[in-house]
Amino acid sequence: MVPPVSAGISITFDDVAKRYDLRVIFRAVSGRVDPGEVLLITGPNGSGKSTLLAILCGLLRPTRGVVRYRRDGGDEVSREEWRRHLGVVAPSMAVYEELTALENLGFYSRVRGLDLPIAIQRGLLERVGLDPDRTTPVRGFSTGMAQRLKIAQALLHDPEVLLLDEPSSNLDPAGQDWLEDQIGALVADGRTVVLATNDRREMTWGSRRVSLAG
Amino acid sequence: MSRWLAEVLAVAGKDLRTEFRTRVALNALALFALTTLAAVSYTIGPYRLSAEDRPFLLSVLLWIVIFFAALAGLDRSFVKEEESHTAGLLRLAAAPTVVWAGKLVYNLVLILVLMAILAPLFCVLMGFEIVMPWRFVAVLAAGGFGLAVTTTIVAAIIAQAMTRGALFSVLSLPLLLPLLIFLIQGTTAVSTGDLATWSASLRAVLSMAGVMTVVSALLFPVVWRD
Repeated sequence: MVPPVSAGISITFDDVAKRYDLRVIFRAVSGRVDPGEVLLITGPNGSGKSTLLAILCGLLRPTRGVVRYRRDGGDEVSREEWRRHLGVVAPSMAVYEELTALENLGFYSRVRGLDLPIAIQRGLLERVGLDPDRTTPVRGFSTGMAQRLKIAQALLHDPEVLLLDEPSSNLDPAGQDWLEDQIGALVADGRTVVLATNDRREMTWGSRRVSLAG
Repeated sequence: MSRWLAEVLAVAGKDLRTEFRTRVALNALALFALTTLAAVSYTIGPYRLSAEDRPFLLSVLLWIVIFFAALAGLDRSFVKEEESHTAGLLRLAAAPTVVWAGKLVYNLVLILVLMAILAPLFCVLMGFEIVMPWRFVAVLAAGGFGLAVTTTIVAAIIAQAMTRGALFSVLSLPLLLPLLIFLIQGTTAVSTGDLATWSASLRAVLSMAGVMTVVSALLFPVVWRD
């Protein structure tokens, strides 16, 4: 199991810039989000919202600037430790289409060193509105069902921090309501949420905002 | 079982499960191997080579078939993760060494399955007489590991490239060429019964595979994360 964290994790990013060769994605972006808060990253298409989220994940290195993850006590969280406390939902990150929903959760559970009992994995699928007995590979899922599975994958290890890129896209209205309730509950529980979005409804969930110019 | 090993087996198990459902790499490996073997056995067969040349030339042919079949099928492990956009979550979920070792186990299983089918078929169709069968198995196993460990790190490197094309073959060839030379020597030795050459060749193959394992384990986190 992931060791319990005594306090939430805050993210601070300062003067962050990203450039691919001569193409500048964004420059001098700064922000902060603390446990129990939702940070919104907004901006027009192509402004670099997903890129900034990937930098906060640790999957991309910024061209300039620093990103720091700290516990409430002030201790810095290392890059290796960081991934253990992070749940991510993003359009650019897919689950395995050849596996069933339950097989996907089983894989992520084992590879994270959790080895969660099957009952917990089934319960999580039911929680996101998927049938755990469904034997169809994810390839046969609708986009909304695949999105629900990605959300289940992000919640599997009970992370301290959630980085979400347009998480309610492809969800039906009931799914959007459920997601809003879930994020509200997680934030109330002291989790840290970063949300990249342009969706008017999702934008009402945040308490802080970083706007990218584009 | 240690936690690290369990995580490695989770990656390998996932890859094997998805492969047995799609059969992309298996089909590429099997088709290439069987087509080449059929062409070689049809044109050369068991009787066209002189008895003196047979051990060496048949060893060369066997490893050419295995080598090119490996190049045709073993590049998929990382490319597939990138193309299907599953690499991001895998990077976040698993430690780099777990991913590397899991992919290595997966490639090793594929190449060993290929060899288990191909080597006996080759010996029968080509009339390749092996006088030291268990030592032949040792050469195949060491060669399989050498091929798997080299192709795994090369596959990881080319998966990050924008234009993959022939890059896998171009990068693999110089790394695998010395290994192939010693594998051919070792296979010739098990056909002629030359124990000293077999022993020296096997040691050379294991040394090269060992060096490649250490280099890959050190290099992979940089390739995978950056």
